[in-house]
Amino acid sequence: MDITIIAESNGNELHPVTSQLVGAASTLGGTVTVLCPGGIGEKEASEISGVAKVVSLKGDCFSSFDSGAWSHVMTPHCGDGIVMGSSSPSGRELAAQIASKMGVPVVQDLTGIDNGLMMTRSIYSGKAVETSNASGSCVITLRQNAFEAASLGGSAEVVTVDSSSEVSVAVKEAIAKAGERLDVSEADIIISGGRGMGDPANFSHLNEVADIIGAAVGASRAAVDSWDEIPHSMQVGQTGKTVNPSLYIAVGISGAIQHLAGMRSSKYIVAINKDPDAPIFGVADYGIVATWEEALPSLRDELANL
Amino acid sequence: MPFEALDFYDVDSLLTDEERMVRDMVRDFVDNEVLPKIEHACRDGVFPDEWRVTLGEMGVLGAPLKGYGCPGLSYAAYGVICRELERGDSGLRSFASVQGSLAMYPIWDFGSEEQKNHYLPKMASGEWIGCFGLTEPDYGSNPGDMITRAEDMGDHYLLNGAKMWITNGSIAKVAVVWAKLDGVIRGFIVEDEDEGFSAPEMKGKHSLKASVTSELVFQDCKIPKDRILPGVKGLRGPFSCLNNARYGISWGAIGAAQACFDSAKEYSLSRIQFDHPIASYQLVQNKLSWMLREITKAQLLAYHLSQKKDAGDWIPEHISLAKMNNVDIALEIARVARDIHGANGILDEYPVMRHMANLESVKTYEGTHDIHNLILGRYITGIQSFTRDLS
Amino acid sequence: MTIAVLLKQVPDTTAKIAVSGGRVDQSSVAKWSTSPYDEYALEYALQLKEAGGGDLVAITCGPARSSKMLTDAAAVGVDSMLHVVADTSEMDSTQIQSILAAAIKHCGAEIILCGKQAADTNSGSTGPGVASLLGASCVGMVSEVGIEGDGFIAQRGISSGDERVVVSKPCLFTFDKGLTELRRPNVKGIMMAKKKVIESVSAGDLGVDLGESGVKINSHAPPPEKPPGQKFEGAESVPTVVAKLREEANVI
Repeated sequence: MDITIIAESNGNELHPVTSQLVGAASTLGGTVTVLCPGGIGEKEASEISGVAKVVSLKGDCFSSFDSGAWSHVMTPHCGDGIVMGSSSPSGRELAAQIASKMGVPVVQDLTGIDNGLMMTRSIYSGKAVETSNASGSCVITLRQNAFEAASLGGSAEVVTVDSSSEVSVAVKEAIAKAGERLDVSEADIIISGGRGMGDPANFSHLNEVADIIGAAVGASRAAVDSWDEIPHSMQVGQTGKTVNPSLYIAVGISGAIQHLAGMRSSKYIVAINKDPDAPIFGVADYGIVATWEEALPSLRDELANL
Repeated sequence: MPFEALDFYDVDSLLTDEERMVRDMVRDFVDNEVLPKIEHACRDGVFPDEWRVTLGEMGVLGAPLKGYGCPGLSYAAYGVICRELERGDSGLRSFASVQGSLAMYPIWDFGSEEQKNHYLPKMASGEWIGCFGLTEPDYGSNPGDMITRAEDMGDHYLLNGAKMWITNGSIAKVAVVWAKLDGVIRGFIVEDEDEGFSAPEMKGKHSLKASVTSELVFQDCKIPKDRILPGVKGLRGPFSCLNNARYGISWGAIGAAQACFDSAKEYSLSRIQFDHPIASYQLVQNKLSWMLREITKAQLLAYHLSQKKDAGDWIPEHISLAKMNNVDIALEIARVARDIHGANGILDEYPVMRHMANLESVKTYEGTHDIHNLILGRYITGIQSFTRDLS
Repeated sequence: MTIAVLLKQVPDTTAKIAVSGGRVDQSSVAKWSTSPYDEYALEYALQLKEAGGGDLVAITCGPARSSKMLTDAAAVGVDSMLHVVADTSEMDSTQIQSILAAAIKHCGAEIILCGKQAADTNSGSTGPGVASLLGASCVGMVSEVGIEGDGFIAQRGISSGDERVVVSKPCLFTFDKGLTELRRPNVKGIMMAKKKVIESVSAGDLGVDLGESGVKINSHAPPPEKPPGQKFEGAESVPTVVAKLREEANVI
């Protein structure tokens, strides 16, 4: 079976998820070809163990993202078996365009696949899991960090193809990411502080961690009521916002019933509190009994190293 | 998260699609714009002006009135609007009741064509706020003996007297004021800038804190001749308005009760005492089941009354029963809900004590609970017991 | 100019999802809503219509219950509604995309807006796939779109930040969270919606031959149970917890 992998790039380098795609492909068996749009990461891709061939696609259309133009160039290089990409937003868009041009189905964001091509994915925002089988060729995208990465040590041949297509999406200007902090009601990760933070100035330690993982910073009512510097818009709880992020990190929050009412439906809850009997530990998936002064620097460093 | 109201018998399935869409629209407004601000509004003692704007934009003011820029909805829809608003706060529902049933309605029913065209479109859009002056400091349940007088001065009327407990008074552009002209009760339209008219706000309320309550004072207040409502004389005028407002209250009280039930249910499921949620204890279940029973009955009562109102097949006593019953059970549900919340129930983290305090007013205004009992007593026995000669 | 917005009715994101007989039990869903990202698409479709004129048609492919969603769209200002009545729950991406592409052609729309993904399948295939079938330019992850000259300017999210891109019709935009929430209807809109008729067709009426689904759903199951809460002593346990968040919980 042919497996064609669409390399994911990260600026001008290969994104690490590409090795995970190769790792997943290796468990299926078959010949693995990696397509590098714009030639980005062609050398790194050729060094991933298990890759048979790298096709480096060079053309003007790859200077900015246009899934229509890209898929037009890439589809002829996709084999008959499985085409595999990352389930990043652009990865999904490209996968859907390629599938449509190949006339085959696309199945997005797999968290598992076995060698009988039984595919596992999460549906209804994680409230159910679907398993399905493709009856023939298909395009799939895999969720980042859900598959073992293949090791290095390969030496695949790199074939360069010069080909372009008419670009219909023209970039007018790039906009730097706004420095403004996410609102707690929109964020997928929230780190909240309570009165245990001791002083509103100490919320800067929460901000540091939040910046690393793209989290919003929240607060308990006790913190909002105690300190004017902490606005009501940050309040999570009964009279604040009700949130259900994937990850909620509560720091120096004891876990009053009014706070729990606003965050207990979070998918995963981490609690950092020096009091081992704090009620917040009753709802935490992972509790750390420690002061924030000790725990936050370590948390910041660990997250920065991911 | 959108509010899921208790509707045990699926009574809302009896509404039309259109009425349910109106419900969802108002519910969304309450969830997103009222609940996040209500406790601050209560603390500050203000009715947020943006609520007026949005009520006008949604087009719900004067809901059952037709023509002159009014919505032209069914009485069932009007009831649903009141219920959803009062789920937010009784003060918000009071604003809409007064605007629609007490200020717009008398102009719509008893006003001249010119008056209707002049006032109603701007009141329906929320641009002009209205209020209703009937109650006086010494004449509450007995408005027929009101003191406020109008005198025909040839080219204008002169108004003297005072009204009290007037919702929206200080923020109103238009006041529909009932006063005696040659001994007969008549309706007058007073505008905020009329000479001799003032509307000082009443402070210090423990109830309806997010609603403006005022006195209306008339000291040789000059009113142009074309501001008298030509279409009605006597108590029938104000009483027609009150019938509509009371009908809306019978629905509104259900909203407050649903909010209290919802909060009590959630709280009892998450509050752990003696290692178990308090919802697992029989005494708490008994309270919750009683709430569900009373809310369900109140819903059916209000719905049936809406159908009678829309069919024009109703008598004022029907409305008295619904207003009296539904406010009574809502107040009791709020008290029991506060009890279930324990000490937490007194905090503004939960809506129950606010609703409880609000409903104390709702029980009293628009015909006290006891006056409605007397109305029904008269209906049953044929003997009026409002007045007697004790001399 | 005809603008089409593609809408999908999904269980409200707050609704409980139950599984019965190997499938998500649709009959137990307490509340159905328009998929949230589609609502952003609808809001910006209304803004495009207000800015540039033309007709706005809302299209859905789904079972009979979906018509309620089209009426809601009419209440905020959609001009016409097309409902392709079909059960899409076992369809593959190719089948759904061919129905929607045919529906768009049927309406003559050249500007198409939809959500980046539906809240039930969580896929994100429909928009780009339909764009490919129609030969339309595709702009994904859009947060805002407006008219510029003869074409359109859109702000989209890419991995390195945001950028503004320019396209001309035919084009399709898939919406991430937009800068403006979908407007609330008003009573006038609700009354108008009652009078608008939903055009209801089958895939066959549109000339679509669906064929067999290339993907067979084996089963739906509830998500695996979370492990019970774990408590660690001291700040030295932070690396352990971070590793678990990545490997056990898969949330970072």
